[in-house]
Amino acid sequence: MHRRTKENLVLFLFSVGLLGWLIPGAGYFLLKEKKRALIVFVTITLTFAIGIYVGSIGVIDYVRSWPWFIGQIMNSPMVIMLGKLTAGGSYRVYGKPAEIGQIYTAISGLLNLLCIVNAVYLAYVGEVETAEIKK
Amino acid sequence: MMSEVFFIMANFISPEEIGVNPRAMLWLLPLAAAIAIVYKATKVKKITTRYFLKEVAVLFGSIVVCIVASAIVLYGLVWLNC
Repeated sequence: MHRRTKENLVLFLFSVGLLGWLIPGAGYFLLKEKKRALIVFVTITLTFAIGIYVGSIGVIDYVRSWPWFIGQIMNSPMVIMLGKLTAGGSYRVYGKPAEIGQIYTAISGLLNLLCIVNAVYLAYVGEVETAEIKK
Repeated sequence: MMSEVFFIMANFISPEEIGVNPRAMLWLLPLAAAIAIVYKATKVKKITTRYFLKEVAVLFGSIVVCIVASAIVLYGLVWLNC
């Protein structure tokens, strides 16, 4: 592995973070951590899917339940598209299913945020270690 | 085939029927499992199936035990105030 310049390192860390946001687990995939990437992708996608299955896609609503939307948006930019589709209560959502759906979708988003931060940290640590070995 | 696809998609635009009863508390289990899996995926240095499953099971068990203990304490407090 060649040593990156400071600008390249920042770009690399940014791309790890961005990819991890675009597709859950993809940040790890870029670091060649394939098992970790697969586990994160399957778990986060499934948790998010359970949330919208239980509560309907109406649980994603940046107009009426924007605090939940902050957590949900961490899943992927796809949530913004879903949010535009469901804004203002175009889909039925109520009661306990709405509660459970919002909790599942927001928690899966926060878990993805944890993975993004961890992937960026691993990328940084990996680069620093590589640089120290080369010295 | 298309009707099955539409049926699956239709499930995502209408909420499921979930009552407000003690059984609804079971919905915390899949979420606790997801939290345990993702957290351990970020913490375990090298992922081997056996070690990873063991770690996840321990964390999942801890979360469930803590929630049950909290529920018992809260129930006790409510019972004492009655």
